[in-house]
Amino acid sequence: MLERLQTISEDHEDEELEFNGPEYDADKVTLSQQAVIFENSSAIDEVLKEAQFIRKEISLLQLEVERMCMQNERFGTSVRRLTLLKKDCDSIAKGVQQRAEALYVRLQDLGKMSSQLEEKEGPNSAVSRIARTQYDTLTHAFRAVMSDYSKAEEKQKNTCRTRIQRQASIMGTDITDEQLDVLVDKGGEGWAELSQSLQPQAARTCRMAFCEIKSRHEQLVELEARLKEVHELFLQMAVLVEEQGSLLNNIEVHMHRTQEHVDQINDHIKKAVQYKKKNPFLQCCPCLPLVSMLTPLYGSK
Amino acid sequence: MAPSGLKAVVGEKILNGVIKSVKKDGEWKVLIVDHMGMRILSSCCKMSDILAMGVTIVEDIDKRRERICSLEAIYFIAPVQKSVRALINDFKDVGFTYKAAHIFFTEPCPDELFTEIGRSRVAKVAKTLKEVNIAFLPCESQVFSLDDPTSLYSFYGLKPNENKDKMIENLAEQIATLCDTLKEYPAVRYRKGPEENARLAEEVYRRLTAHKADNPSMGEGPDKARTQLLIVDRGFDPISPILHELTFQAMAYDLLDIKQDIYMYQTTGIGDSKEREVLLNEDDDLWVQLRHMHIADVTKKVTELLRTFCESKRMCTDNANIKDLSQMLKKMPQYQKDLSMYSTHLHLAEACMKKFKASLDKLCEVEQDLVMGATPDGEPLKDAMKSIVPVLLNNELEAYDKIRIILLYIFHKKKGITEENLAKLIQHANIQAESNIITNLENLGCNIIAGGRNAGKTLPERKERTGSTYDLSRWTPIIKDVMENVIDDKLDKQQWPFIADPAPINTTQTAVSSARFGHWHKNKSPPEYRTGPRLIIFVIGGVAHSEMRSAYEVTRATDGKWEVLIGSSHVLTPTSFLNDLKTLDQVPNPDC
Repeated sequence: MLERLQTISEDHEDEELEFNGPEYDADKVTLSQQAVIFENSSAIDEVLKEAQFIRKEISLLQLEVERMCMQNERFGTSVRRLTLLKKDCDSIAKGVQQRAEALYVRLQDLGKMSSQLEEKEGPNSAVSRIARTQYDTLTHAFRAVMSDYSKAEEKQKNTCRTRIQRQASIMGTDITDEQLDVLVDKGGEGWAELSQSLQPQAARTCRMAFCEIKSRHEQLVELEARLKEVHELFLQMAVLVEEQGSLLNNIEVHMHRTQEHVDQINDHIKKAVQYKKKNPFLQCCPCLPLVSMLTPLYGSK
Repeated sequence: MAPSGLKAVVGEKILNGVIKSVKKDGEWKVLIVDHMGMRILSSCCKMSDILAMGVTIVEDIDKRRERICSLEAIYFIAPVQKSVRALINDFKDVGFTYKAAHIFFTEPCPDELFTEIGRSRVAKVAKTLKEVNIAFLPCESQVFSLDDPTSLYSFYGLKPNENKDKMIENLAEQIATLCDTLKEYPAVRYRKGPEENARLAEEVYRRLTAHKADNPSMGEGPDKARTQLLIVDRGFDPISPILHELTFQAMAYDLLDIKQDIYMYQTTGIGDSKEREVLLNEDDDLWVQLRHMHIADVTKKVTELLRTFCESKRMCTDNANIKDLSQMLKKMPQYQKDLSMYSTHLHLAEACMKKFKASLDKLCEVEQDLVMGATPDGEPLKDAMKSIVPVLLNNELEAYDKIRIILLYIFHKKKGITEENLAKLIQHANIQAESNIITNLENLGCNIIAGGRNAGKTLPERKERTGSTYDLSRWTPIIKDVMENVIDDKLDKQQWPFIADPAPINTTQTAVSSARFGHWHKNKSPPEYRTGPRLIIFVIGGVAHSEMRSAYEVTRATDGKWEVLIGSSHVLTPTSFLNDLKTLDQVPNPDC
């Protein structure tokens, strides 16, 4: 279809060549845009570059969260090298947290930049709308990644809990949910009472099981602590999302909020130029400028 | 859960075929749409989707826009004069508005407009020019709309619209793009009776053939030869859009003021009490589960789901209800999305029940007796007049509710009623101002006045349906009978003639198995690749929510062998239907 369009265009040009006389033919002007510079294109570029960076960071964060999930699964299903796996899980999770917090700060900066642009250029100018849309969408995406992270940590937490309970029941004591909650809150003490009921026979297997439970319990405690840290971040994001409103992602609503671009200043200047050209005094009395220049000299006397 | 069906197909076509096809790494683009383009885009894509594909801002072609010379523009517009002129305008002056143009038309572009573009300077900056053939809105996974609420007037208004031919051509083209997008080449059938059905059907057939010539893969595939497209008029079943329905979606749209699928309510979230706006569409998994359920089941289900959710997350709550939700939210903000979803649906169900209990429970009893012709116990209705008089005399009911009861009474009478009886009823109900709504239904071919112009026309017989239903939900839309008959191949060919003889049905199953074994390893995009035939129904004049629900129910009953799609120029609520009917006898506004 494009070729068809271009053939029509060429035929049309051939026709027009015959009719175009002394009129200024805009088509003959070279179509390169290099000479035209607009102030807002550098601001747009800056916004877009920052948005691109944050976007990439978010996808890297997503990859890290996925890596964490896989590592958690390995930890959950393996029986050897627990400490090594645990260290890896921890380091990935801590990495995710640090990255997330840094990203959040950068996102907030983008938000501030967007508000500043809105104040300077008005909320309807292209650059402020671009900034606002990028900021809103990136916040959305960031929240989705954090939500995935939270789900992964939750899953890991539940796995740990069930394993502890199962192994404790193998050992001979059953631990209910509330007891486990209490143990976790205490942070590691409290095993002494439980281990009292350990049967002295088959002490070695019990001891191994007991060690395993302890290590998993430590991990559970650390998990809970991590989740508490991230809680603040989630709370802030939740407030932000609620302010933004849930219809943000809807294109129709988004477009209804934009208004016509009013080229006010340029219009006034164009009108002024026209009026000046058509000024009857200037046309019929070219010596008027001299007079108007002289009057102040006389007027001041 | 990603949406499936129509929305997924169209969304994928737009994101890949339009936006991704011109995506370049590191470069952002401006997307410019006109009204139709925006509606199509908005119904199946979100801002985050298009931003991920390299679009950084969406503009309206009809508004005056700022110059953004550093970015290229994608135009997604209908090939109509207004949009094309705006497109040409963007590149008229010496300074172009954008760096380059990628133009995508929703349907085939007429020659004159194409030449006009060719003669302008757009031809020099256009890097892409394509017709994508998507001229309809995918409202739901099995419902489509052509976004023309004036259609009832255009077809059945008293003063015939001079542009009726042009309008029928436009509609036919839009329906043809639907089939093109789904890669279907259906056999076209129409309900014999009103002449508009036959004209529209013929025009659709013509357009389909033209599309098939350009796109021979339409209609290819195992079992696709059985796909049918039915054209039916609104007068065929005037009861379904008027009846008070008690399923969640139909009830909410009928009783509450929901515009553009946005539901507004007051809530306490993390902050103070504020007004929330929620979009009711298929991105909300809970809405998809609940929308066709009876209202009695809805509240039960939501509270049950909420309780399970709270237990699984070990949130301390004795009774999970609306008031505790805001507290839960503060304690566990990472579940904000889920908790707000439950909150929305609890509010919605509560609002529906409030309105129902206020005045409608008695009304619904009378309505169901009228349309079924029998009481819930199975006894035939003896004195219909006696049951509707107290309703008409009830001053607390709104005028539209009274009109609905009168209409249902008239349809119950099958042969219509005399003019004086009608006048008496109108007087009892005190609705003289709206009385023309009733008589205007004659324009749709319904029998209102006994012995009037539609004498002899009766509503079709309905199937006997056994099975337990709620007493206030015994009615099934007539179109459901039609759907089931088509699938069983029992639809009468005299009353529902084919435009062209359908292709012979391949009864051997070899085609199906070779597709299954020969191609299973190839990467096929899941939404499009649907083995099995489709039944596409187009209702002239508007489709009711209960009919939309029937499409899903029938599809489920075939275990996925058939897929039923239903659509119209727009979706009706009882109020909008009565409003449309009111204007049918008015002279068209010369300014419009």
